[in-house]
Amino acid sequence: MSLLSSILYDMVYHSAPLILAVLGGLFAHKANVLNIGLEGMMLMGAFSSTLFVFLTGSLWVGILLSVLVTLILGLIFSFFGITMKSNFIITGFGINIFVLALSSFILKYMQMANINVSSIVDVTGLKINIPVIKEIPLLGSLLSGHTVITYLSFILIAVTSIVMYSTKFGVYVRVVGENEEAAKSVGINSTTVKYAAVLIGAALCAFAGANLAVERMALFTNNMTAGRGFIAIAAIYCGQARPLKSSIYAIIFGLAKSLAINLALFAGPISGLFEMVPYLMIVIVLFIVSAVETRHNTIRGFKLE
Amino acid sequence: MKKKSLSLLLALVMLVSMAFTGCTTNNNGANSTNTGTSTDTTKGKDDLGIALITSAAGANDKGYNQSAIEGLKKVKDEFGINYKVVEATDVPGSLTQLASAGYKLIFSLEYNFDALINGVGGSKSIAEQYPDTTFVVFNDNPNVKEDGSVKHKNVVSVLFDVHEASFLAGALSTLVNENASALFNSADYAFTTGAAGRKVGFLGGSKSNGITVFGYGFAEGINYVAKELGVKYTFYSDYNAGFSDSAAGATKANTYYTDGANIVYAVAGAVGDGVDAKAKEVKKLSIEVDANKDSNQPGYVLTSVLKNTEVPVYEISKNYKENTLDQINGKVLSYNLASGATGITDLSVIESKIAASGKAKWDEIKAKLDTIADKIASGEIKVTNAQAGEAFDKAKLENLNMPND
Repeated sequence: MSLLSSILYDMVYHSAPLILAVLGGLFAHKANVLNIGLEGMMLMGAFSSTLFVFLTGSLWVGILLSVLVTLILGLIFSFFGITMKSNFIITGFGINIFVLALSSFILKYMQMANINVSSIVDVTGLKINIPVIKEIPLLGSLLSGHTVITYLSFILIAVTSIVMYSTKFGVYVRVVGENEEAAKSVGINSTTVKYAAVLIGAALCAFAGANLAVERMALFTNNMTAGRGFIAIAAIYCGQARPLKSSIYAIIFGLAKSLAINLALFAGPISGLFEMVPYLMIVIVLFIVSAVETRHNTIRGFKLE
Repeated sequence: MKKKSLSLLLALVMLVSMAFTGCTTNNNGANSTNTGTSTDTTKGKDDLGIALITSAAGANDKGYNQSAIEGLKKVKDEFGINYKVVEATDVPGSLTQLASAGYKLIFSLEYNFDALINGVGGSKSIAEQYPDTTFVVFNDNPNVKEDGSVKHKNVVSVLFDVHEASFLAGALSTLVNENASALFNSADYAFTTGAAGRKVGFLGGSKSNGITVFGYGFAEGINYVAKELGVKYTFYSDYNAGFSDSAAGATKANTYYTDGANIVYAVAGAVGDGVDAKAKEVKKLSIEVDANKDSNQPGYVLTSVLKNTEVPVYEISKNYKENTLDQINGKVLSYNLASGATGITDLSVIESKIAASGKAKWDEIKAKLDTIADKIASGEIKVTNAQAGEAFDKAKLENLNMPND
């Protein structure tokens, strides 16, 4: 029972940053901007939030400043990718490498091996225990004892669905993504829409990073996002950029990570194999999804999205 | 027009940066950060002194690299020998440039030996190209042929007997775990007591000899004390924690803590920082490695297993000063507990958390550790050295159950 509940708890823990990155990335994806820089933006969020909390001594001011900084990063990406029409993949990788280098440079400059804000942020105190629910065995670890941004990430799944499918902005994003010329012909400023889509992604990635670093650990270490941005991209593709579906894939990857961590205790010498589970899952899921999609595809030679 | 001028500007920036990169590499050796105070190129070659290439962690890592640089500073103060510190971005390139610039003694702290020892891309090995320069490498002995003979006369390998220091850390862990309720204020910590708490965790970054050497020494240390006390311990280990995903590492440590372990030892770079943070969160203890990181989360890091590079750097530099480098050339230098190059910290940080009533017990534990250290030095206790290729037999550890190894 305790194993199952810790698997569930860690699943939510490790899903939250992925969900945020997925939701952020799919706006850009729907607007036909391939944002490969999610990883870098998330790392920027993790790094700058910890840094600003360290400098200002306040958790929420730190997170707010971190969102601003990550938005600037999003602007840089948009400027090169959208205004200057450079290759998105190159620009995105530029962002990833830049943030990695910037964070380790600043750490080096400040003569620190990591940024530790545990004297400012009380990690245990940030967990919200829901009174009645926390007593219920499995549901308690699933729903209770998480942090604000973690809850926010799950709420945002619904919000994103509504924004994407029930608002004018959502329609604009999708129209620009599907046919930019058509959008322009009816007077939609496609550049603005694309900028907005990327910037929403940047803001959510900042939250993802802040969740991972400050909120859960009160600590930043070099390259701590460790590929989560790319897993988010995989989740977006698996879920065909639909908010709920992509988020479910994000949760599946979170579950895989949680299984790898929790089962290692009982697996004996082969526990190393579990480390492959998340990555293996991506390959299998992508394979099945594309196989199923091809089957349901009625137009020859085209892959519907 | 706008676009044109912008692209022109960008091209210019690129050109300038390229030109300057050239300058740096030609004049100073690769990407130098000049910590050495006087590396004036106008001086004669004899004044060049000693060069050091840091590992990827960089010069300000508060440990491995920094203490090596401390060693060089000491050398400068005492012998007046200049030094130069280069950050590792391209180790083979830096080695070549430093050697061709005329440095006769080069320390390379990064785990990167191929170009130096074997040569890459069909070229001669760097050691062979510069036979007059002594290269010092750390943490491994790559300088051997298959038949066991020495490859290059001008390469020195430095090994730290971290298995002995880990043994001490293991002994300390068991002693602290057994007496936790007497030592600490119960309000500060949330230790699991009794048989359920007789568990210790170990997280390694990868399953290689350089990492298992810590884990096996640690396990033997736990077993040694457990046997004396007649108790059984469980040793959880995982050698796949990686070196960067501190969040996953912390969650993994949490599974150990939740299962009853009170102490987790992490030899996994930045992942260790995550484990320390988790230790504070769950009010238990962690053990750090390489540098003195006891103040990482004061009161929640029991101790750190040290690699004090200052000692070998100083001693080898002394050989350089006295022109006796040929005495150590081609050799493997092992630094054991007694040399001071490895060991555990002085425990002063955790000591501040010891309750007044537990002081007597704490002194007893420290005395016990000294006895164990003496026994290791005298050879009475033999610790498996995985780094030197010794096989580890977990069946011999009667009081330790190692389900994951």
